[in-house]
Amino acid sequence: MEKAKISASQLFILMVLFELGSALLVPLAIDANQDAWLAILLGMVFSFVLLLVYHRLYLYYPDLLLTEYMQKILGKVMGTVLAFVYILYFMYDASRVLRDFGEMLLAFAYPDTPLFIANALLMLVIIYTIRKGIEVIARSGELLFIFMYVLAVAGFILIVSSGLIEIKNLQPILEEGLFPVLKVVFTQTLYFPFTEVIVFTMILPYLNNPKKAKVTMLCATGLSGINLIITMLINVCVLGVSLTARSQFPLLSTVQTIQVADFLERLDVFFMLALVISIFFKICLLFYVAVVGTANLFKVKSPSRLSYPLGLIILFLSITIASNVQEHIHEGLKVAMVALHIPLLVIIPPLLLLVAFFKNRKEQRE
Amino acid sequence: MKRKGAFLLLMMTMMFLLTSCWSKKELTDLAIVAAMGIDRTGDGRYHITLQIINPGNVAGGLQGGGGGTQSPPVTIYSASGDNLVEASRRASRSISRRLYYAHTNLVVVGEKLAREEGINTLMDAFDRDPEFRTTATMVIAKHSTAADLVKTLTPVDKIPANKVLKTLEFTQRKWGENVKTSLQEVMQSLESPGRGTVVSGFRLVGNPQQAQRLDNLQESAPEATIQASGIAVLKQGKLVDWLYGKPARGTVWLLDKIQGTDININWEGKKEVIAYQTVRQKTSVSAQVKNGQPHISVHARVEGDIAEMEVPVDITDPKVITKIEQSVRKEIKKELKASIERAQKNKTDILGFGEVVHRSRPNQFKKLKSEWNDVYFPKLNVDITVEAYVRRAGLRNKSFLSGIKEKQK
Repeated sequence: MEKAKISASQLFILMVLFELGSALLVPLAIDANQDAWLAILLGMVFSFVLLLVYHRLYLYYPDLLLTEYMQKILGKVMGTVLAFVYILYFMYDASRVLRDFGEMLLAFAYPDTPLFIANALLMLVIIYTIRKGIEVIARSGELLFIFMYVLAVAGFILIVSSGLIEIKNLQPILEEGLFPVLKVVFTQTLYFPFTEVIVFTMILPYLNNPKKAKVTMLCATGLSGINLIITMLINVCVLGVSLTARSQFPLLSTVQTIQVADFLERLDVFFMLALVISIFFKICLLFYVAVVGTANLFKVKSPSRLSYPLGLIILFLSITIASNVQEHIHEGLKVAMVALHIPLLVIIPPLLLLVAFFKNRKEQRE
Repeated sequence: MKRKGAFLLLMMTMMFLLTSCWSKKELTDLAIVAAMGIDRTGDGRYHITLQIINPGNVAGGLQGGGGGTQSPPVTIYSASGDNLVEASRRASRSISRRLYYAHTNLVVVGEKLAREEGINTLMDAFDRDPEFRTTATMVIAKHSTAADLVKTLTPVDKIPANKVLKTLEFTQRKWGENVKTSLQEVMQSLESPGRGTVVSGFRLVGNPQQAQRLDNLQESAPEATIQASGIAVLKQGKLVDWLYGKPARGTVWLLDKIQGTDININWEGKKEVIAYQTVRQKTSVSAQVKNGQPHISVHARVEGDIAEMEVPVDITDPKVITKIEQSVRKEIKKELKASIERAQKNKTDILGFGEVVHRSRPNQFKKLKSEWNDVYFPKLNVDITVEAYVRRAGLRNKSFLSGIKEKQK
């Protein structure tokens, strides 16, 4: 752990950018058809429960990282192994997001460029940022957060003013009942993007005002949830369900349809800017957490030195995890959900909390 | 010092990376495709016709209008292939530049292709390609091949693709018998269950050979021109009928796409003597299902002005205005009814009534869905109510003719 402090508002901004990250890119929860927004909303609400679990763990060990208190809770051997698994998960997730980024650029704007080049260029910037530490990430977050929101608001106004919104595309609501929506919630939206914020259990110890942690976490998830809901609502309203479901990047297609006053059109580049910003922060945070986790686990004195080797691993992993886009998306939605998200985000943290609870009660009695 | 030197060297090498020249496309190496025509060849392959802009000939403002030795503003290339991508790539054999589709605003489909094979199979190429925009407009070439339509040179608007687009836009705003449909809208209605699709028609008037010659434009009334004509009715992607005149306008009206038109009414025995121009209109459709039988209500609301009166009418009397409003109402209702009946006769739900039922009664629509076009839609009960208001009457009140009439008394 480096000696650094971030404020509650910086944490808030980082969380929002993290959750928007690649979730803005994909047709989130589109398996629920026109009720995608409802699936996102419910996913957000249910994720609050897990968020409170993460926060409770933080309250027990306010100065320790997830990978550290794991060792206290479960003992040296078990804790170390599990901490290592979590670090691997963070790195895998970082490489997935990096791949998302590369695929977006290649599919849309750079068809002739190799994936490696696109990914490597972003990775270089990220490695540089990681070396500078969490405070720099947080400060650049503040700057770019404003820029992203200006883009988002401008885009929203343009879409509305070009008369593209067809509210009737959202009807009928709950055509097949609530069950399909709940299925999407528990297989997709609950984990991606909301409970991925388990990453922040590794960042919370840097918070200068621990009392604000809970409110900040809930508010940030709420805000990003609302943003994602609005995005999906607009996508479905503008494109209709079937086109949204067929799109690799529905928000891009939505932005492409903007035509205001015969000259405000082809604004795709603003979509790219917004996505590059949010993906940059998502990778940065996942990567940073992997770096501090590793440094802490293996007692490396200066964590920033780890950024080169780990960065290279993430870069190569992003190229090798899948041989094509479809495989990559399939892995993300089906394989990673069962193999990684459910055990690591939903099952283990509450178990940790349970053990921590009994352990602390015992200590208090003694 | 050494460190600084190494750093400087690194920065300088980075400079070469940062020029972003990986897959650069120079403007002078691009052939900007303004319009694309698609036909079917005899042996069942696609034949595409590309209208490519000649930048130099479009820009010259001073010598405009077609001087004697000038070359045309667009050049046509064509190629065939088993699918659109193949045809487009094969076209590169005859074009010295890279085909650039990002500014293609018009897709023309030949009538024969639309009628025999349908447009469903064409869509994926447009939808998938990152360069092509689905905001491009689609039209069907009536009574001709798409190639002939794309090859036609047009006066006033030098680029023929722009002429087509602007004509559609303005006629939709002023007359309302045509509707500008983007590829995306066409795709949405093709995908919707039990829904027919409308696409505007465009027609070449005159000799196709003459139409592509520059000297055609040197006349004040060019012999061969292109004009918007009719609405194509597509059932499952295949052309089944053309709508003209009142059924066409009624269809646009029912789709709530109408932006302005002119309605004539009869007055005291004289036919079509008062012209009423609409300013604001809104159509809403709602559905009920009773005993498994769907029922549709259409409500149209229109506000407008009196534009012309060829009979002596004194509209300073509010009662006269009310009477005019009633006649307008009747006229619009007739038109809407005619277009609904036409759609029912075609057994094609181009009006989106099925979607309305689906939205408001999703469970009942499940049973109707498979047979909607052929069984339920043709015998659908439709209630039409029209509200029409006269708001203004231009700069004068009484008709000019009523002035003459009074003087002669």
